[in-house]
Amino acid sequence: MSVVELATWTLLVIGVGVEILCVVGVVAMDDVFDRLHFLGPASTIGTLAIVLAILFNEPFSTNGIKTLLVGALLILTSPVLTHATARAARVRQYGHWQAVPEEEVDTE
Amino acid sequence: MNVWLVAATVLVVSLGGCAWVALRSPPSDRLVAFELAGIIDTLIFLLLAAGFDRDVYYDLALALALLSLAGGLVFAHFMERWV
Repeated sequence: MSVVELATWTLLVIGVGVEILCVVGVVAMDDVFDRLHFLGPASTIGTLAIVLAILFNEPFSTNGIKTLLVGALLILTSPVLTHATARAARVRQYGHWQAVPEEEVDTE
Repeated sequence: MNVWLVAATVLVVSLGGCAWVALRSPPSDRLVAFELAGIIDTLIFLLLAAGFDRDVYYDLALALALLSLAGGLVFAHFMERWV
């Protein structure tokens, strides 16, 4: 097994594993804000691992550049989407997104 | 069947979890499951492009990455008040 094959296997196992764990997390949680946390690793660690696995096999080609572009797009735009979703969920819940004075923060 | 297609198949199976949440949860939670499914779909297209060695599929992944962002933002905007 060559170095490239070993790196491909390792990165793919990491990437797919992280995505599966994120799906399990979204299914297991019972609140929209808890569920939103699992979009983070799915769009950063998982995406980075799979994009790197493809780049190991297709470096410096058109396909490699497109893969890099997709990875950068997912990693950079995911926080925007997460923020917009959290804001929408909060507006739905309270009618506005500002902090509520009597709101208790659960620190446990 | 190479390693790329195996990884893509595993990811396709994991989409079932997103479908479960999208079918049985409150509307905001469904949006989260939809966004996660968009991320996983994009990665599946990348893996299929590498697995089948077809250059066109990379464009598909690029288009889906752009459109899932736009779709998610539009859904979030309507989720605030109207849906």
